[in-house]
Amino acid sequence: MLNTMMNFLLTTRRGVATLLLAALVAAPGCDLFEPNNPVDPNGPSLDGILLDATQSQIANLAVGTEAQARVDLNIYFNDVSVIGREYWRFSSADPRLTGDLLGKSTSILDNNSFYTTRPWAARYAAVRNACTMLQALDVTTADLSDAEKAAARGFANTWIAYELLMNSNLTHENGIRIDVCPLDQVAPFVTGRRAVLDRLAQMLDDADGLLGQNAGGDFFFPTSINVDGATDDSGIDDFRQFNRAIAARIDAYRQDWQGVLDALGGSFINEGGSLTAGAYHLFSTGGGDLTNPVFLNPQNSAGDAIIVHPSFISDAEEGDTRVAEKAALRVNADGTPNPASLDDLSGSYGFAVYDSPTAPIPIIRNAELILLRAEANIQLGNLDTAVADLNRIRSAAGLDDYSGDVSQGALIDELLYQRRYELYGEGHRWIDARRYGRLGTLPIDRPEDDVWTQFPIPANENV
Amino acid sequence: MKSYYPIRLLTLLALLLGPAALAQTANVSGTVTDADTSEPLPGVNIRVQATQVGTITGVDGQYELALPAGNRTLVFTFVGYRTQEVEVPSGQATLNVQMREDLLGLDEVVVTGLASSVKRQNLANSVETISARELSGTTTNQTLDGALSGKITGGVISSYTGAPGGGISVKLRGINTINGESQPLFVVDGVIASNASIQNGINAVTQAAAGGNASSQDNPVNRIADLNPEDIESIEILKGSSAAAIYGSRASNGVVIITTKKGQAGSGLGVSFSQSLGFTTLAKKLGSPDYTLDQALSIYAPDAADDATPDEIEAAQAQKDFVTNLFNTNGKIDLEDQLYGNKGVLSTTNLSVSGGSERTQFYLSGQVKDDGGIIENTGYEKQSIRANVAHRISRIVNMDITTNYVRSEARRGITGNDNTGTSYGVALAFTPNFVDLTPDAEGNYPDNPFNSSNPLQTRDLSDIGETTNRFITSGRVGLDIYQTETQGLKLVAEAGADFFDLESNLYFPEILQFEPGDGQAGTAVLGKTANLNYNWRGSLVHSYSLPESEVFFTTQGGFTGANEDRNTQVTVAQGLIGGQQNVDQANSVNTNQTRLFRQDRALYVQEEINWADRVIGTVGVRGDRSSLNGEPDKYYAFPKASLALNVAEFDFWTVSQVDQFKLRAAYGETGNTAPFGSRYTTFGPLAISGITGITINPQRGFADVTPERAREIEGGVDVSALDGKVNVELTGYVKTITDLLLTRQVPASTGFNFETFNGGELRNVGFEAGLTLLPVNNARFRWTSRTSFWTNSAEVTRLDVPAFAALGGGFGATLGLIQIEEGKSPTQIVGIDDTNGDGEADGTFALGDASPDFQMSFYNDFQFAKRLTLTVFGHWKKGGDNINLSELLTDLGGTSPDYFDDDDGDGVNNATERVNALGVSARQFVQDASYFKLRELGLYYDIPTEYLGSAVGQTVRQLRLGFSANNLFTITPYKSYDPEVNNFADQPVASGVEVTPFPTSRSFLFHVSVGL
Repeated sequence: MLNTMMNFLLTTRRGVATLLLAALVAAPGCDLFEPNNPVDPNGPSLDGILLDATQSQIANLAVGTEAQARVDLNIYFNDVSVIGREYWRFSSADPRLTGDLLGKSTSILDNNSFYTTRPWAARYAAVRNACTMLQALDVTTADLSDAEKAAARGFANTWIAYELLMNSNLTHENGIRIDVCPLDQVAPFVTGRRAVLDRLAQMLDDADGLLGQNAGGDFFFPTSINVDGATDDSGIDDFRQFNRAIAARIDAYRQDWQGVLDALGGSFINEGGSLTAGAYHLFSTGGGDLTNPVFLNPQNSAGDAIIVHPSFISDAEEGDTRVAEKAALRVNADGTPNPASLDDLSGSYGFAVYDSPTAPIPIIRNAELILLRAEANIQLGNLDTAVADLNRIRSAAGLDDYSGDVSQGALIDELLYQRRYELYGEGHRWIDARRYGRLGTLPIDRPEDDVWTQFPIPANENV
Repeated sequence: MKSYYPIRLLTLLALLLGPAALAQTANVSGTVTDADTSEPLPGVNIRVQATQVGTITGVDGQYELALPAGNRTLVFTFVGYRTQEVEVPSGQATLNVQMREDLLGLDEVVVTGLASSVKRQNLANSVETISARELSGTTTNQTLDGALSGKITGGVISSYTGAPGGGISVKLRGINTINGESQPLFVVDGVIASNASIQNGINAVTQAAAGGNASSQDNPVNRIADLNPEDIESIEILKGSSAAAIYGSRASNGVVIITTKKGQAGSGLGVSFSQSLGFTTLAKKLGSPDYTLDQALSIYAPDAADDATPDEIEAAQAQKDFVTNLFNTNGKIDLEDQLYGNKGVLSTTNLSVSGGSERTQFYLSGQVKDDGGIIENTGYEKQSIRANVAHRISRIVNMDITTNYVRSEARRGITGNDNTGTSYGVALAFTPNFVDLTPDAEGNYPDNPFNSSNPLQTRDLSDIGETTNRFITSGRVGLDIYQTETQGLKLVAEAGADFFDLESNLYFPEILQFEPGDGQAGTAVLGKTANLNYNWRGSLVHSYSLPESEVFFTTQGGFTGANEDRNTQVTVAQGLIGGQQNVDQANSVNTNQTRLFRQDRALYVQEEINWADRVIGTVGVRGDRSSLNGEPDKYYAFPKASLALNVAEFDFWTVSQVDQFKLRAAYGETGNTAPFGSRYTTFGPLAISGITGITINPQRGFADVTPERAREIEGGVDVSALDGKVNVELTGYVKTITDLLLTRQVPASTGFNFETFNGGELRNVGFEAGLTLLPVNNARFRWTSRTSFWTNSAEVTRLDVPAFAALGGGFGATLGLIQIEEGKSPTQIVGIDDTNGDGEADGTFALGDASPDFQMSFYNDFQFAKRLTLTVFGHWKKGGDNINLSELLTDLGGTSPDYFDDDDGDGVNNATERVNALGVSARQFVQDASYFKLRELGLYYDIPTEYLGSAVGQTVRQLRLGFSANNLFTITPYKSYDPEVNNFADQPVASGVEVTPFPTSRSFLFHVSVGL
């Protein structure tokens, strides 16, 4: 029987046709002729979130915004710290870090090189995340109260303002795009540093109002902003203090000195508290997380190292303990000095602001707030009040009270010195020198080096 | 099951089946032999002209055939022999035929449809065929892709690395896409074979993508390298859209059809064993400067600044003492030789057994390859086994099965670009030759004082390997449904699968100099990719002949489907527990998973009309759907039409010296589906302090994406004269690609970096010429020669976006980059330049072009007394520029060989001049990458078996000894190891960006082969 069947199947045309047909019909599934229409297997889609986001998706977006705010921060810090002559970023693989950024010979800042494009794009990606959060809050059917939604909007808008500020710090008078939330539209350019800062200040004020609608409450998502150091990690009041701290910084940048003092009143300023209390970018070695991208072993070899600018050592006031805290002498295994040289630059100290790959990077901290208050008071003529704040910073650095001339000019010098040493490596010196018209005082390391005022607009903005 | 009609069609045809009676009138029989050796030829195909009646010869070369009434012309065809047409004299019942070897491949058969083929003589396209002899007969190439280099007329085949395991970019007939898939479709015995290039994750250490170009720079192997070249019978290359249209929406980059060896019917058992053994060495040394102490100090221990602090002065003096001491102690060390000077042993063993009866043929083969590299601890190993079986189950059913298992292991080290000083080449560039990097007696490596890694330590103590296990199988069933004297109907069903599992295991122990740099000493990377391609096809082929008018019709139609599933996981572990390599033994572990799916479905029909081999016309169309398109259910049609006119076959043709004079023209369209994921805008995970959030990916998806469409018109003339001794093939083509899949940068302020869209137009105009000669052919000396010339010029004729940098096209205008710009060649190189001589950059200007002006290849084969064969294969590429950034790194590191030379005599040395030009002009990086390479040279001697003594001589059919060399020499003005290089591996447009690559090697091999 089996033989007959086999014979039929394999030797007659009808048989073979039957066999082939059977094979076709039995072929797996119905997709022999039809391609399917797959969803992206590699992550949640924007379309889905904009259609109707769940509460947990909005929470994911909030966490993602803070996570994204850390991406490519090393490039940002290299940009501002190298141009601000705080440190050199030695890299044998990328000569532009000691070339273009220092204006070596005839090099200029390029509008299509990574140091211009990448931090800019990373900040706007964080903004897109926050914008998506705002849009999701508008359409979501999740069980959220209006107050919860308002606070979440305040959170998103605060981050948008902060991220935009970071880009404005780079492009300065060249400006930035601000109204970028509508999808697939290119927002108009706002040029002029002052015009940008005014918009950002307004944005922060509005966000503060939204956050206030749920004062005393908690966000429905965790946040890494925890200015009081308490264990609670989603308090809205904490976040409002962060919002006000950034507002104070922006007011200082736009020389609204009374505004600085007003904003500081709502912030976490605490002259009796730890100078390091504040808002930080957090890092961990956990899966899917980032480590501190600015951290490098200060003893790393010259081909890949962050080298403290020698002027940081030589300009320091006698006894300033911050020098030893933030700069580590480079030594060989036998303890002999091991200076690093690259591209006609040479330095003996490695950058030691961060001591581990999980060290947090300050966004804004108490020391800066105290210095902002001092600055505002100097500018407003309240010189003695300012000196008290400066002395708070000085004593923490092991220095005696300020004994110099109590004049506005002398105190501004002292303020800028304290900002330079207290906030060393945290991205301030270049911006401070710029806003006080002192870029010309920054040291030139090689005869034809330049000190840049601002970055060009990235090429892909097609401005 | 939504779509029934192909099945209905089959059912209908099945019902129509009926027994076919053949009218038989007279029998003819005879023996077919080889004209040179007089040996009988089994397996020769014999067909009565203009009918479907035929048979094949048996083991002894004999055949018997019933002649239909009124038709006595027999056509004898056999692979590798010239086709013969012989008329059986009336009344004669015996016909013996002698066949001649087809040395120049004039009568080979070329695949033109999905289920049919046509004689080359009747072909309307220029289709390249590479025989086993040309592919692997001269020397043993490490990989299949390497064996193709220079051998495809109309192709730019460029090896992007010298690393063991290969890595090649194939571009057929110019630039076919800007951002889409750019590799041709590889079809192996009907299976769509993966040629994926999968990054091994070494970026975790090199951080190459962290700087100026975020493209992956892991120097991946492309997977077609897994195939064993020795298994390949022939490779056909459908270069342009007019030839490849029947492959539809995956064929814009051309199609490479690989056919593996089968046993021959009635040939008896053949055993062939071959062993090659040789070594590989660095092909070219760049050298390093002969420093004087003062020169060394000027670079590595500069004077302290005038306003230096006492600390700085002390430090500068310490550095001076340090360098002086090194200089005096070590003298000049040949670091290049220490790093690249290994003589890697190359060994390849092949064993194959083939044979067959009239019903069953088989080919079994095994290969074991173990190749070392020019860098210690690098190399390539492969084990491959294959079983191909063809069986005629009954008079009407035949089937083929091919199976191939390959295991390959590549150890490629760390080369190319990095941002951490860990790549061997970058480390070498920054290490002056008075530094001793070798370990002490206890095996402890010194730290490199001038770079973050000691390359000898990295090389010796790291473990960098990728292992692939791959299985390729295919099956094919043919059924003669219906056969009469004038008609035949065949059903062909085929299916196949290609599965590979790739594992990359990278281990950098904590004691490496660079490892503590990120605070997490010790790195392990485990990458795993599983990739499954499977495809199936059903075709019906109807042939119909009108004997009176000598017109043949071949009609075919069918459906085909292909799926691809890929799953890639890469786990990076940092901060390893001492000595541990498993990724869980670490302080921080990061895992990434990426999946890829593709489903393609298509229907096709094709009609071919042949009037007495005089006029051959073909029309066809294929409709494709794909899950990668914005509308997966929409059919995209790809038509084709062609006409070949064999003028010499007409009666009016009287030039007897010219055997063939063919005019041909062909038109066709193909597509290129968007890369997977172009449709989607997706969030990715990113954790902060242990809590995971989602962040927007840089790509803005394009929901309505459609395939790119290439339209090509091709025309040509083929002439064969003097009894096939002189053959000329001339082809011109114009190929226009529209709906280009452009990935445009979007203003980053939108929150996205780029998006895919359809727009723009690209045009390739090219010319190809081939001259094949058989100048001498007698018993004492035979010379065959093939010379090819090809050129292509591409232009972006319309671009709906501003000019942008090509993917992987460099590191920005300061260093030179390949830029896509309307009205320009897509491969133009632009960069900043100082046009008015004021020492400042004046903007971005065109500085060169990566595409060659033209290429030529020269293949010559000399055979003396049928015993001694010399084969020489040369390849000339004229023009085409590279962006050479290796020199910049050696200039900055103080190690350029001409550092202190002063070519222009202005008192400023070369390196200083070049470094000063950095930021002013990128012109110095754009360098002419023309070359002439003697790619292959082989000398073989067949020992006459009669010398072996009667006992051995009867068993041994062939005993061959040989010597060969690969890449024997290169003539080039290019200032680095090899003008064939690309830091970004295979890219759609960009090529030739060099950053301290794995240097190219040269190899020498001895061969023994025995045939039983």
